[in-house]
Order: sequence, then C-alpha cells, then structure tokens
Amino acid sequence: MTTFSGEPSAELADGLARQNSTGLGRLLGTGGVGHADEGPDGTMTATIRIPEDELCWEPATLILPHGGNLELTLINDDKNTHCAVLPNNGDPKIIWLVNHAKGTASLELAGPGTYYYSSTTGNDEGRGLVGAIVISGEVPDEAKLDRPPQPRP
Amino acid sequence: MTDYVDAGAAIPLTQLSAVKGSAPATANVDYERILDARSEPQNWLTYYGTYDGQRYSELNQVTKDNVKRLSPAWVFQAGATGMQSGASTYSFEASPLVVDGVMYISGPDGKCWALDAKTGEELWRYKYASPYDVSLCCGNVNRGVAVGHGKVYMATLNAHLIALDATTGEKVFDRTIGDVRAGESRTVAPLIVKDMVVVGSSGGEFGSRGCLDAFDAETGERRWRRYMVPKPGEPGAETWPADGDAWQRGGGNCWITPTYDPELELLYQGTGNPAPDFDGAVREGDNLYTDSIVAVDVNTGEIRWHYQCTPHDLWDYDSTMENLLFDAPDGRKLLAHADKNGYFFVLDRTDGELVRVFPFADRITWGEITSDGKVTPKVYPDEEGVPVHFWPGPAGAKEWTHMAYSRQTGLIYVPVQEVGATATRRRREFKESIPYWGAGVAVDLEDFYGYVAAIDPISGEEKWRWRNEYPMCASTLVTAGGLVFQGTPTGDFVALDAETGEKLWQFQCGSGHHSSPSTYSVDGRQYLAVPTGWGGWIEGFLPGLLGAAAGDALFVFALPED
Repeated sequence: MTTFSGEPSAELADGLARQNSTGLGRLLGTGGVGHADEGPDGTMTATIRIPEDELCWEPATLILPHGGNLELTLINDDKNTHCAVLPNNGDPKIIWLVNHAKGTASLELAGPGTYYYSSTTGNDEGRGLVGAIVISGEVPDEAKLDRPPQPRP
Repeated sequence: MTDYVDAGAAIPLTQLSAVKGSAPATANVDYERILDARSEPQNWLTYYGTYDGQRYSELNQVTKDNVKRLSPAWVFQAGATGMQSGASTYSFEASPLVVDGVMYISGPDGKCWALDAKTGEELWRYKYASPYDVSLCCGNVNRGVAVGHGKVYMATLNAHLIALDATTGEKVFDRTIGDVRAGESRTVAPLIVKDMVVVGSSGGEFGSRGCLDAFDAETGERRWRRYMVPKPGEPGAETWPADGDAWQRGGGNCWITPTYDPELELLYQGTGNPAPDFDGAVREGDNLYTDSIVAVDVNTGEIRWHYQCTPHDLWDYDSTMENLLFDAPDGRKLLAHADKNGYFFVLDRTDGELVRVFPFADRITWGEITSDGKVTPKVYPDEEGVPVHFWPGPAGAKEWTHMAYSRQTGLIYVPVQEVGATATRRRREFKESIPYWGAGVAVDLEDFYGYVAAIDPISGEEKWRWRNEYPMCASTLVTAGGLVFQGTPTGDFVALDAETGEKLWQFQCGSGHHSSPSTYSVDGRQYLAVPTGWGGWIEGFLPGLLGAAAGDALFVFALPED
C-alpha cells in the first residue's frame, strides 16, 4: 500500500530538497526555475550558482525562449570544489569551479528540447548537482510536416 | 569574503584529451568516385559499401584458410559523459566508412569521429548536443554518416542535418529538417547522390507523416521532399479513408538508407509501418505507400513505381530494410528485399514487377502471400482488448539489419530472427509526440532462435543455414575471401564459410551486435570493423536478452602482421 501525500512542496521542504535528510542527497530537479535574458541580437544571458552545502544549481532549471547562443555565468558559492560539463554543439564545455569561484561559458544549443548538465566530479551528479536548460519554442515553419495543426497532450 | 576566484571561460571537453584535432586530407570523394566504389575495395565509401547495397567486398587477404588467425588490431571506446537521452537504450549501430586510411563513424547521442583506420587514434571528434527529451521509439541510435564533397554528413535525433569539415570536424552547416515536437527524429545514415544528400525520416511510432528529402550538399537547402503518405487528391490517397485525418498521421517513414541505380536514376526506398501500428480500423484501406518498396526519381523526388509488401499492415511490419540490387544471369535488373513479414521479394527494379516471392522464415502465422503476390491476412489484433499472438513479431523475421550478396556464390546471406509476439488492440487518441501504437505489445520471452540463411535469389532455394540459439540482430558482410561475417546478440563476431555455412572463427566482443560491419585495407593489410553494443529496441527484437551487458566499443580485426 502506498500512501500518497499529494503535497510535494511540503515533502520537498521536509527533506527531499536537502542534503542528507530524507535521502542521502538532494532529489534532482528540485531547485528553482529561472529565465534567461535576451539581448537585441538574440543572444541570451543567465547566471547560475551553487549555494553553500546544497549541492544544487540555482536556478536548477533555466528556460530559454529559443535555441541559439547562451552566455552563461557560473558562480560557486560553496566551500567545496565542483565543476560544470555543459551541453554545446560541437563539443561539451567544461569549467573547473574551485571554492568561491566565478566563470563563464559560451554555449550554442538547438531548440526546442531539454539539456541536462552536471558537475562531473565525485558523485556530485547523484547528490543533486544536475541542472537543466529547457529551450521552448517551435522548429522553423519550413521544417514542419505538411499537415494541419495536430492535437498535443 | 574576498572576491571570487576567476575561473575563466569554459573550454571544449576535447581540449582535455589526446584527440589530435584534425585528419589528413583525403582525395575528394564525389559522386563519380562513389559510383565506382567497387574499384577501390581498400575503402568503404558509402553506407552499404556500394550504391547497390550488396555489402560485398573484393578484399581477399582474409580467407577461409587463415581466418582462424584473425585478431583484434585495435579497439575504440565511444563512452559517454553526463546524462543522455535513452540512457538505457543506446546502441552503437553504425557502419564505419573508410576513405584513404581515415575512418568516419557516428555513435549514439550525436557523436561523430574521424579515426586513424590503421591505429584507431582519435583524429577529431564532434558531439552534437542532443536534447534529453526527444521522442524515440527504439533507442538512442544512429546508423552512420555519409562522406563526400569534403564533408561528413550526419542526421540527429532532433531531426537536424549536420555537415562537418572532413579534415577538422568543424561544423559547415546545421539545418533543421524535421519537427521534433511532432515526434520526428532522424537516425538514418545519409546518402550522397550527385550533388545532393538524401535523408529519410523517423517517427512512425509517433504518427508522423513519413518523408524522404534531398538536400543540396553544399548549402543544406532542400531540393525536394517526397511524402510517403499522400494528401487527399494525390495518387494513392484512395487507399486511405476519404474523410478524416488518418493520412495526416499515417507513418510510412524512411529510416533506412535507400539503395540507388545510377543508370535508372532511381532510389529504392523502403517505407515504414502505417500509424497507428496495430489499430487498422482508424485507417481503412491499403495505406499507401507504407510498408512498400518505392522507386523514387533522384532528380525530382517523384515516385516511379511502388510495390507494397504488407497492405493495411496490422503487425508493425515496416519494409524499411534495404533493397539489394543485383542482376540475374540473363542480365535482368533485379532487386531483393527480405521483409519483416517473413517473405523474400524479388522484383524487376525497372518497373516493380514481382519476379518471385517466398518465405524465408520458419514460422509465419500473421497471413500468407502466394507465389503470385496475393496477400491474405489470417491473424491480427482487430478486437479491442483481445490478445492475439503472431509470428514474426513486430521486429520482423528480419529487421533493419542488412543482408549481403556474394558476387562469387550468387547467394544472399540473410540475418533471420525467429521471435513471436502478442498484441492486444487498445485504441487511443492521437497526440503529437506521444506513442501512437493502438495496442499493448509483448514480444515473446522464450521460444526464439535465429540463423543466417544463404538464399539463392534466383531459385528461392535456401542453400544452407547457420543456426544460433538467439536471433540474428546484426548485418551480414561477405567478402571475396569466401567469408560471411556476422555478429550475434551475445557478443560473438563469427566468420562463416560462404559456400557451406561452416563456422570458421569467432571472437567474443563482450556485448551484443546490432550494427553493420565493414571491411577495408591500409598499406595492404585488410581490416574488419564492427561496432558492438547491445541496445536499441531490444524489447521488440529480443526481450529475452534485455538484461544483457550494454557497451559501445568498435572492434577492428586483422591478421597478424608477421
């Protein structure tokens, strides 16, 4: 028999979104949601950070309005060393983030779709340091099928 | 707190590796050179080796007598970092291409490499950032690249066509060629013909409208598109319900590379299942051009003729697998096709006339095809909620993995799967990007086997078979050394005598085979290259091995140099 709480926010506050509480690490995808800013030339910018002792990215989910170029600023506010391996067309990009460090990454991604990135040291990935870049929007009209609009879920 | 430490800018991951960064410039591969690919057996210039799809090599250094000495020359490990789509279904399905000592190969999840074909050294690497949440029926897979015009062409899971510089791996262009929100993807190896790149669609399990595209090889601009499900008013539309929207989600995708006859200027494209796969009541009629062999004019994209192998399919019997071109002793231009439905078709490739059809699988219960081509369905899921068992299962008596034709023996070597399945019709509404099967399907977990069948396509006679405990889920390769090479689901790469079927050699690669091996030579030494890695739609073709070890290594074999 499974007891269904129906209160995910309470469960998250109670421990799913914390280190060494309900589980050992933080449940993936339980951080905040942010949106990238878009400049006049279509380039997008955003900042993500690692809070102290939380082993997560904030925001954990970054939404982009469309595919293209993203200028990302990464800040490690933790008192431990991490890194980020980030999706990028051509080759993933890596940046080493020692304690209290700040760096940048220039990324090119196609949309729509979701890309995950993580700190690939130790088991940062399992403890919660997995973030998502979610690209919204549609493919260009010329790439769509020749058929009337179809229902979606 | 002090100021932040400056971490600088993120760098390409490959910068922290031994990847060389460039490949030697090779002599240009163009249409004329691919046309004459058989004259340079040291290379494997195009997906099937040659346009005719024979998967036959004139190389004969490795023979029946010395094959027992065949040993690994080098191994390449694809590997992965971070999270990737289909994390449990990735499979190394490609066919390695080789040009003048440089190997070009794609892997799962948007990866492409140039390798030193002699040593395995990684010369350059390209990793397309593939979205995690794409709709994939059958795993995170890619069947290969095309090389030509100084470029390497690769299709991606989110339906892009990428062109890379063949010497540096740098992107030349990136075109969005399909709608990932509509459940479309691309897994096929592109084909270069003239100054075009031909790419077919994937997405038949998501109710996409299948199509074959030709793009300008220099710019990526689309030259033509041929939908394989007609709109109302177009030829073939009468095989779909006159009212309603079934044609809009009708399937007929083109997820395997076509073969090509340069004299007739025809592409021979196999097309996929109609959608929904198992619920035919929402799409009454024959559902052209699904489950068909379609001859497409390479210059215009027009359909010249078609032959439908399974009209009004109710079993997921795609006909996407290759159409192998060969000539009869009397010179008649023929085409051979071993279909999922268990029947082997021989057609006149000039006009699509049926020359011969016969069963190549042992157990066929879905229906019957008479020698004159008349199709009679017998067992199919037509009543809601009622389970129906049939052979072959939805992966077919032969799936997409390819057969090979020996120009020495005149035989075609077919990898056969003997696996049944039970489908229970469950109607559902169509919604973009959601699987649209119209049934619950469970493929048999027992009572399966497989074999390589050596078939005379002229007489229809099976000359020999090499039986295996497990179905054959990888492509065959045949050489002038009198050998047939075949990978097994349990990891063995075996060499068979092309005349008798006797097993002469085997090597355990550690993970199952679901790819297309190729052969080439460098500095006079013959190599055999086979990607390994058990994955893809295992629950469809062999769920009895769902628990087998995964992997993604490329093995390359050769005789000892001494």
